[in-house]
Amino acid sequence: MRSARRVQLQPAYLLHHRPWRDSSRVVELHVREHGRVSLFAKGARRANHAWAPVLQPFLPLLVSWSGAGDGGTLTGAELDGAPVALPPARLMSGFYLNELQLKLLPRQDPHPGIYDAYADALGGLRAADAEARTLRLFEKRLLDALGYGIDYAHVAESGEPVEPAAYYHVGPERGVLGVADDPGSPYAYRGADLLSLAAEELHEPSGIAAARRLLHGQLETPLERRELGTRTVARAVRSTGVGRTNRGDGERSQ
Amino acid sequence: MKYSPALARLIEALRRLPGVGPKSAQRMAFHLLERDRDGARELGRALDAAVNGVGRCRRCRMLTDGELCPICANPGRDGSVVCVVESPADVVAVEQSGSFRGRYFVLMGHLSPLDGVGPEQLGVAQLEAVLDEGEVRELILATNPTVEGEATAHFLGELATRRGIRASRIAHGVPVGGELEYVDGGTLAHALAGRQLLG
Repeated sequence: MRSARRVQLQPAYLLHHRPWRDSSRVVELHVREHGRVSLFAKGARRANHAWAPVLQPFLPLLVSWSGAGDGGTLTGAELDGAPVALPPARLMSGFYLNELQLKLLPRQDPHPGIYDAYADALGGLRAADAEARTLRLFEKRLLDALGYGIDYAHVAESGEPVEPAAYYHVGPERGVLGVADDPGSPYAYRGADLLSLAAEELHEPSGIAAARRLLHGQLETPLERRELGTRTVARAVRSTGVGRTNRGDGERSQ
Repeated sequence: MKYSPALARLIEALRRLPGVGPKSAQRMAFHLLERDRDGARELGRALDAAVNGVGRCRRCRMLTDGELCPICANPGRDGSVVCVVESPADVVAVEQSGSFRGRYFVLMGHLSPLDGVGPEQLGVAQLEAVLDEGEVRELILATNPTVEGEATAHFLGELATRRGIRASRIAHGVPVGGELEYVDGGTLAHALAGRQLLG
């Protein structure tokens, strides 16, 4: 049954692509209703191929394919709406969102919530001055949807609500553990920052910085401590001095 | 069909070339052995010499035999303009356009963060050294009009402007002799954004 399947015009984003043979590509897609799918795009590297301008990251696509999902053949790809590119300064952040999905989304397991969060995040990256906040919100929504989310607004054991003025220890897997005696500890977080993350507000720079520290700790479990290529390259780019002075939020975004 | 060992090895070796499948490899091997043994010997010697002798230009990373490639060694080229391209084939393409008299820098790829390809793999330290010599006034970014090429151009552009060197990006748009009706939306959007005033 599945082998003869044809799928038509599904909303999707291209996460990654690599050359295959002389003139083709293997494309890794996030398809809204099918999850992560890897397909052969035959002839897509030929000059003047209609897919060349379409099969690019960060563009909303409608894709069609035949075959059983992974290893199937792309039969159609078109833009779903206007081709709105990410500003060049935000491309590194876009690649980071793609790598998170590539490493964490199970194959052929639909997560429309993550797909919509990603579409929102691309919108956020196109807007001015929302880069770090956008990345943190996507990380949180991704962790929540994959089942790694924690309740930032309540103490795990007692269920008591988190107080804005108090400091708490937070375990990346266990949640809010209790009041921290030493606010300077790397595991201590201000209650107000936790509540801001729980409500997905994150308008204060201090809240965004705390969320980064916390979410990156949480991401280590599903990533199984694998290094992210986008983080390594972003670090190398920063070490040349590029992007240091014009960052509005005053901290590393990834 | 089972070939003798030396013939099988030759056919297998020819299949390394781009666009060559088993059938073409077999045709090439038979041609060389049946009709052109001298040519085959020359091919073997040329391959051996090139593989052992061709390295990269110290200055621009173009493939070359010597320390410097012919373009970098040519005193007639304008050293104040450097055109950054992704591959040696791109140097040939720009040279054939006949409209560029400056020098090149060949990245041998583009930024590809998901594959871990960053500044180090692209020889960016070498490009910085060229920029720091003080002769360069303009860096032309001729990376491919793909998302990765755009990210690379943006990064190198900042690298140049931080040093007070002008950075420019090649225009993308409607092909000469083409018809607007058949141009895709992304290319047209670029063409409109990069429009120029008449007169």
